[in-house]
Amino acid sequence: MFSPILKNNKPTESFDMVEITQSFKIEVEAIDADHRRLVEIINEITDAIDDGRAEECVALVPNFVEFSQQHFEREEALLTKHAYPLAEKHRQHHVGLTDKMKTIQALSERAAHSQPAADALRKELVFILMDDVINEDLAFKSFLVKAEAEGGAG
Amino acid sequence: MQGLHMVGVRHAYGRTQVLNDISLTVPAGELVCLLGPSGCGKTTLLRIAAGMERLQGGSVTIDEQVVAAPNVQVPPEERQIGFMFQDYALFPHLSVFDNVAFGLFRLDQGAARTRAMEVLEQVGMTHHADKHPHLLSGGQQQRVALARALAPKPRLVLLDEPFAGLDTNMRARVRQQTLSVLKQTNVATLMVTHDPREAMFMADRIKVMGENGQILQSGRPEDIYYNPVEEYVARLFGPMNMIKGTVRNGALETSFGVLSVNGQDDGAAVRLLIRPEGINLSSNGDQPGDTPVEVISAHLLGDSSIVRIRIRDGINSGAEFQARIPGAFDLMGGGRTWARVDPAHVFPYPQEQ
Repeated sequence: MFSPILKNNKPTESFDMVEITQSFKIEVEAIDADHRRLVEIINEITDAIDDGRAEECVALVPNFVEFSQQHFEREEALLTKHAYPLAEKHRQHHVGLTDKMKTIQALSERAAHSQPAADALRKELVFILMDDVINEDLAFKSFLVKAEAEGGAG
Repeated sequence: MQGLHMVGVRHAYGRTQVLNDISLTVPAGELVCLLGPSGCGKTTLLRIAAGMERLQGGSVTIDEQVVAAPNVQVPPEERQIGFMFQDYALFPHLSVFDNVAFGLFRLDQGAARTRAMEVLEQVGMTHHADKHPHLLSGGQQQRVALARALAPKPRLVLLDEPFAGLDTNMRARVRQQTLSVLKQTNVATLMVTHDPREAMFMADRIKVMGENGQILQSGRPEDIYYNPVEEYVARLFGPMNMIKGTVRNGALETSFGVLSVNGQDDGAAVRLLIRPEGINLSSNGDQPGDTPVEVISAHLLGDSSIVRIRIRDGINSGAEFQARIPGAFDLMGGGRTWARVDPAHVFPYPQEQ
C-alpha cells in the first residue's frame, strides 16, 4: 500500500503512494471499484507533491472530495437496498467526515508554499481513505457479500 | 500493505466486553496513538497485535501477512515486532551492547555486531555500549530499550506507556529522541498512552478509546483538540469551564456575549464547555465580548498561570471560571480585569450527555 521507503518525505523510487491490497478489499465490486478510483486520485495528488507540482493539489483535491461524496451516496443506497441494520450509523459516519474533507482542502491550498502542509496533506489523505473510509466499510463486508450473493433486496 | 491493519477486533474477559469492533491502520513510517483511560482496552489491543493475547474476533495483518484471524495465530516471536514498554526491562546482567544484540541471534556474530552498533549509533548510545544498565539514567535505559526493539528491523513497533517511568524533563527529551529515531526508521508504530499531551506530541493520528471498548474519535491531534466530537473527548485535556443554557437562533446568550452553538437545535438545552486557555484576560476591556471579572486567585505553573475569576455582570453573574494565561498574572496590580472567550475553544454538547 505505502512506499516501503520514504525519506525526507519523498519516495526513493517510483512507487504508488497507496494501493488496495487484500486486507482492504470489500469484495463487492461496485465498492472496491470506487475505492480503487479514490486510490488513483490520491496517487495523482502525491505524485504532484513529489514531482514539485504541489500547486496542482488545489485542483486535484476537490476531485477526491467530490468522488468521495459520490461514493458515499452509492454505498448508502446499496446498504439501504439490502436493509443493512447499521445503515444509518454508517451514513452518520460519512457526515462526520465533512470536517476532515474541509481540512484536506485547506491543506491543498497551502501545499504549494508549505512543505509541512504538503506532508500533512499526503498523510491525511492516506489516513482518511484507509482508516476512515475503507476500515469503516469493512464492518459491513460479510453482510454485503452475502446479500449481493443472494441477489435479493434484503 | 506495509504496516499494521486490524479489522473488527473484539475481545472479552469473561462477560466483560473490553474491545468492541476496533479497526485501525498504521502505515509504515506513521505513528498512531491509542489514547484513553486505564481499563479502556488499549493495552489489550496492543497485546492482541503482539500476539500475547489470543484473538477472539476480527483479524490482524502486518505487512500484508495475516498474523491473527479465526484459525490463524502466529506466535509473537514470529511476528517481527519490536516492543518498548514502561518497565523497559533491560537484562541487568548484560552490557548495553549485549542487550541490543540479544535479539539478533539469527545473524552471524559479525553481522550482529555491526547491526547492534548501527542501532546504538542511531539512539546516541555507542559510548555506553560496554556499560551495564544500572550505570545508566532512566532516559539512557529507555534509549537502549528502543535500540533493542529496533535492532532486528521489526515490521511494527509497539509502545506501551513508554515514558511513564521518566521524570518530566527526561520524558520530554526522550520522547523527542524516540520520535526522531522511529521516523528515520520508517517503521509502523502503535503506541498506547493515557496522557493526551503525549499523544498530541507523538502521533500522526490519535484514536481516542472510550470506556465502552470502542473508538470514539480518530484524527489528527488538531482534530481531537479543536473538534472533539463528544464531551468525553473534550474533557480528556483537563478541567473545563461550563455554561448551561438554551439555544436561541443557533446561539447561546452568555456574559461573554452571544456564543455560536453550531449543530444544536433551537430550544435545545446545551452545555457549553470552554477550555481554560480559551478565556483571555485583559486590563482594558475594549474588545467586543469583554466582560468585567473579579480575580479570585492566580497560580503560576511556570510557563502559564491558572487564574480563577468570577463574572461580575450579565446572565452568568457570580459564576466562577478558570482561565489559563501565558506567563505570570500580576495579582498585586489591583487594576480591573476583563475576560473574553475565544470561540475556537468553545464546544457545545446536549445536556443529556
